[in-house]
Amino acid sequence: MKTPPFNLFQPKTIEEAISISANFVENDEKFDWIAGGTDLLPNYKWHLNTKPNVISLALIDELHHLDSTHIGAMVRLHDLANSKETHPIIKKAAASIASVLIRQSGTVGGNIALDTRCFWFNQAEEWRRSIEWCHKCDCDTSADCRVIPNQNELCVATYQADLAPTLLVLNAKIHLCGPEGSRELFLSEFFELDGIKRNILKPGEIITHLTLDKEINSWSGDYQKLSLRKSWDFPEAGVAVAWRHAAQSSDEGIELRIATTALESIPRLHNDITNEALLNKYSINEIASKLRKDVKPVNNTAFPPNYRKKMVEVLCKKALHGLKGVLS
Amino acid sequence: MSKEIKGYRQQPGKLPFSKPGSGGSEPFSKLRDLNMIPESEGGKKPQPKGKNKHDHLLTGSSVGRRTPLVDSNWKVTGQAKYGDDIRLPNELIGRILRSPHHYAKIRSIDTSEALAIPGVLAIETGQQHTDLFGVLPVTKDEHAMAVDKVRHVGDLVACVAAENEATALEALRKIKVDYEILKPTHDMKKSLEDVDEPIHDRGKYHIGKSNVQKRVFQEFGNFDDMKNPHASSKAKWKFAGVNHGFTEPHAVVADWEPSGRLTLYTPQQVPHYVHRSLADVLKVPMHQINVHRTFVGGGFGGKSDPFPHEMCAAILARKTGRPVRITFDRDEVFYTNRGRHPSEIEMNLHVDDEGRICGIETDALIDGGAFASFGHVTTYYNGVLHTAPYEIGSFHYTGARVWTNKPASGAMRGHGAVNSRCAVELGIDDLCNQLQVDPITFRLANLLPPHSSTITGFRITSIGMRECLERVKEACDWEQKFRKLPLGHGIGVGCGFFISGSGLPIHWDPNKFPHATVHLKIDMDGGVTIHTGAADIGQGSDTVVAQSVSEVLGLPIEMIRVKSRDSDTSPVDLGSYSSRVTFMNANAAISAAIEIRKELIKATAEICNVSEDSLVIGDRRIYQKKDPAVGVSYLEALHKAQEERGALVSSGAYRTPPMGGVHKGAAAGLAPAYSFSAYAAEVKVDPETGFTEVIKVWAAHDCGRALNPLSVEGQIIGSCHMGLGQVLSEEMKYARTGGLLNPNLLDYKIPTVHEMPEVVPIIVESNDPEGPFGAKEAGEGPLLPILPAVCNAVYDAIGIRTNELPITPDKLYKQIEKKVRKLKLDSPLDLPNPELIYSELQKSLEKRAENHKERDIERKLNQEREPYYNGTIFGKISTIPPEEQDERWTLSVTPSEEYLANPRLAGSAWKHQEVRHMKGGET
Repeated sequence: MKTPPFNLFQPKTIEEAISISANFVENDEKFDWIAGGTDLLPNYKWHLNTKPNVISLALIDELHHLDSTHIGAMVRLHDLANSKETHPIIKKAAASIASVLIRQSGTVGGNIALDTRCFWFNQAEEWRRSIEWCHKCDCDTSADCRVIPNQNELCVATYQADLAPTLLVLNAKIHLCGPEGSRELFLSEFFELDGIKRNILKPGEIITHLTLDKEINSWSGDYQKLSLRKSWDFPEAGVAVAWRHAAQSSDEGIELRIATTALESIPRLHNDITNEALLNKYSINEIASKLRKDVKPVNNTAFPPNYRKKMVEVLCKKALHGLKGVLS
Repeated sequence: MSKEIKGYRQQPGKLPFSKPGSGGSEPFSKLRDLNMIPESEGGKKPQPKGKNKHDHLLTGSSVGRRTPLVDSNWKVTGQAKYGDDIRLPNELIGRILRSPHHYAKIRSIDTSEALAIPGVLAIETGQQHTDLFGVLPVTKDEHAMAVDKVRHVGDLVACVAAENEATALEALRKIKVDYEILKPTHDMKKSLEDVDEPIHDRGKYHIGKSNVQKRVFQEFGNFDDMKNPHASSKAKWKFAGVNHGFTEPHAVVADWEPSGRLTLYTPQQVPHYVHRSLADVLKVPMHQINVHRTFVGGGFGGKSDPFPHEMCAAILARKTGRPVRITFDRDEVFYTNRGRHPSEIEMNLHVDDEGRICGIETDALIDGGAFASFGHVTTYYNGVLHTAPYEIGSFHYTGARVWTNKPASGAMRGHGAVNSRCAVELGIDDLCNQLQVDPITFRLANLLPPHSSTITGFRITSIGMRECLERVKEACDWEQKFRKLPLGHGIGVGCGFFISGSGLPIHWDPNKFPHATVHLKIDMDGGVTIHTGAADIGQGSDTVVAQSVSEVLGLPIEMIRVKSRDSDTSPVDLGSYSSRVTFMNANAAISAAIEIRKELIKATAEICNVSEDSLVIGDRRIYQKKDPAVGVSYLEALHKAQEERGALVSSGAYRTPPMGGVHKGAAAGLAPAYSFSAYAAEVKVDPETGFTEVIKVWAAHDCGRALNPLSVEGQIIGSCHMGLGQVLSEEMKYARTGGLLNPNLLDYKIPTVHEMPEVVPIIVESNDPEGPFGAKEAGEGPLLPILPAVCNAVYDAIGIRTNELPITPDKLYKQIEKKVRKLKLDSPLDLPNPELIYSELQKSLEKRAENHKERDIERKLNQEREPYYNGTIFGKISTIPPEEQDERWTLSVTPSEEYLANPRLAGSAWKHQEVRHMKGGET
């Protein structure tokens, strides 16, 4: 099947890109951004929410910069996974994404802003017609959600990207730029709980880069991914953890963050659990069990939700293995 | 080099070809490689398994040598033309409108709006093309496009030819179809019941008002022996449907040439059936159609049916007068399917106190989807193909294939045998666990000998099962590993048995027309052109035919060219299915080469004035065996033979010998030879997550004789990968709405290179008496044992017996949780590890295995051997058919009233009456 035709724009600077997008926004014309294209193009081939205009970010040099505290949105996943400057947790997650071929093309920005997925949605046009569409791509029929029927308000498609939880536990900041100017915020504030809306990006706005603290290397941690095959597959569940021994605190205190992905429509930090755990000196098993209760996967990926939920506990235990001895 | 001959008249045999006239990339012919010539023919090749009828034809040229496939250069350099690579001038793009409904009547189709789109040249619907076709003559139930109703989501409704794909797709959106939605059936159990509107109507042959397409009942043996077994293993299995997952999606190009004839370019495994079906549907005589087989990007059974889209392309091309190309998207491949049947199999095995398998009871309900395809045969294969390699006391099989509103199931590598074989081999492992004996010893003590007859009357010739088991046992260090590895780490064994070519050609009586025919043509240049209709689908059929001819004529393989693409030039061949090509086609090629060989020898005898008997063929040279100096080059002999008639041509054919029983269904599973295999698999299972990782596989396969060991090893390794997919991760999932949930290669989980273990291929050569140079199949049989080997290894690792495939982590974890709860354990890491403490039976089985080993060698080498019928191990006289010596011996193909009072699942299909047997049914 061929990709439906679209107009391609290839700006060379951020300013140029934003002026193109601002123009579309002003004229109420529909458009998409394309980075590596490994998510967008397969969706286009399936005629999923295709747009007549596509703006490529590939030629904008400043988006490609990578060092230990700055990750440009257009940095390829392959380069991120292979750079000596990448933090080990991010590196592990990056190296687990899709396949080596896809990582050669897929980008950090694309992975962060990855479209949510659902087996009622990621299907060819004919297939979706056979179920009379769904809420996420309703083809103007105001179709119902197929995962949780009788509600067409919230899309529960799953966010299945690997990088976000690792960046969340490292407290990354995300930098955006749009027609209304630039802004920066913590990545934890970036995502928005709806499979269609996905994040707080405004019309015409792009991710330019992510930044990490200078002391980022004082954090250790791990990323654990659940997928049927060791290559190709999107995560069915992902748990990232990061910890460091608190600099100021006098006693045995540590700082701990846990984030999950591929379980809900957004990746998220589980600060309530970690705070409670540190306060009450929970064991690793107790933390893992709390985490399991804190996630609410739905039935729209390859593994059934109850299995994914149970595996979150196992993944969490494995991810926290490095803290054995520190936590009981 | 050669001296130019002067004068007007040239001397015969002295034409200015280089001497010793050769050809090939080496200028001089080599001496015969005595290591490749059997001892019986004066060579040095040992023959521990005795002689073969083709031994005297061996020249040492290419048989048994590792030969890269003759078409591999095209593939590795990207120059092979697959279906979609055929680009004819002025082509149109065809696309197919598919049904969005599972089951519906078509009230009307309005194409006017679509036809009005500029660039749309033709739209056709099923109304104009109502002729039925299908791969089996007895179950033709497909149309080019739906005529009255659609039977599954993705069923063909209309086809469009347009200037480009975008226009064609636009036209599809504009076709208005008015459907009357019918109640679909997705559950195969429901298909056993009577319904208002069965998916097909087979007229007087329809089974009640149900969706049962085919039912089989078979009982063989003395069932008294089974009634009080020493131990039994009972299991109810669920197998998910799997798709072939070949790389190349279906593609076809149809071209009505200026001659008025149709050429259809298609990647087909069985071009001949397409040829027949095209003639039926287009109402054009077969001689007006040329089916051109392109390179095939993987078939595995999935490209062996004649397909509706092939008809559509031809119909559109005829209508528009321009070539039409149709290429599928991957989801269309899944809608076409013909993959392995989803099945529910009840498998009960019984052993007596001497460790003999006194009964196998199988009940298999298989989900055929919306069309018959090969299903008639599949229904038999699910039963009859596990009556060997073990000697059994009694065999009861009930099978039923039902229609459901899903993409049609069909033939897939290991056709019909894979699922029930897996169930049998797990049953044996379970029995051995109950009896506390070693499962390899148990198998070795229960094998049929060479040249024997199975319980259903299959004629077994060569059998290398014993050697397969012995060599695998040694290679994998079985004694040190089995039941001795720590929790989460295990090893298991499984066996396989498969046909080497189907004994009955589907379309004709084998006595009236051969299975396979091969033509040879040799002209002055000395190169040999082989015309064969066998379809090379990547399995290497071109190579095996080239090797056979090269061997007989003593020519290097580069002097052989195979023309196997066009039905215009190829003799009719049944195609690449049921693992028949090596056995049948190579046999036909050898017969054709023998004709040429005779002429070459005769010519040499004339030139050299020696007797024909004293001559042998070596590398491009024919000479006296005792005095190699006396002889001529191949070209000299050839030119002499050509004197009177020009190019040499010959034809060879193969037909199966008469064999098998006379009961209904006796021909199903009947083959001129059978392959055997035994695999051991070592796995690691994570009890905390349910993930199974296969670490290493030792794979012994008896292929009779490896004509090309390179290719046999490739088939073994490829089979392991394919089988691992079915056992670990592949499954066609259906949503709660009934739709196929994963019609794409991201969600349909074929194992990647990371999941692929190291495979140690072990080739066992049993030297089949009728196979070409002793060969049997190696294409499908090697897939069977990997499934049970892995499942048995999982049991060895964590003590959990699976009865559902694939064993995805979530399913296995569920069983782990259940067991942990049952045993009241704290963690899955505390699961008990299965143990083996030999019972007294072990010793007696070892003894029996030893005795049987001697028996087998004797039967293999003794040409004056007596018949051996299944049942001898139970004390029957080996030389008399059991039904003739045992009054209580049952041989039945219809169920008794008693059985019908309480039938099993598939057996309940027999509760219905065929329409013709009902009152007034004949009307």
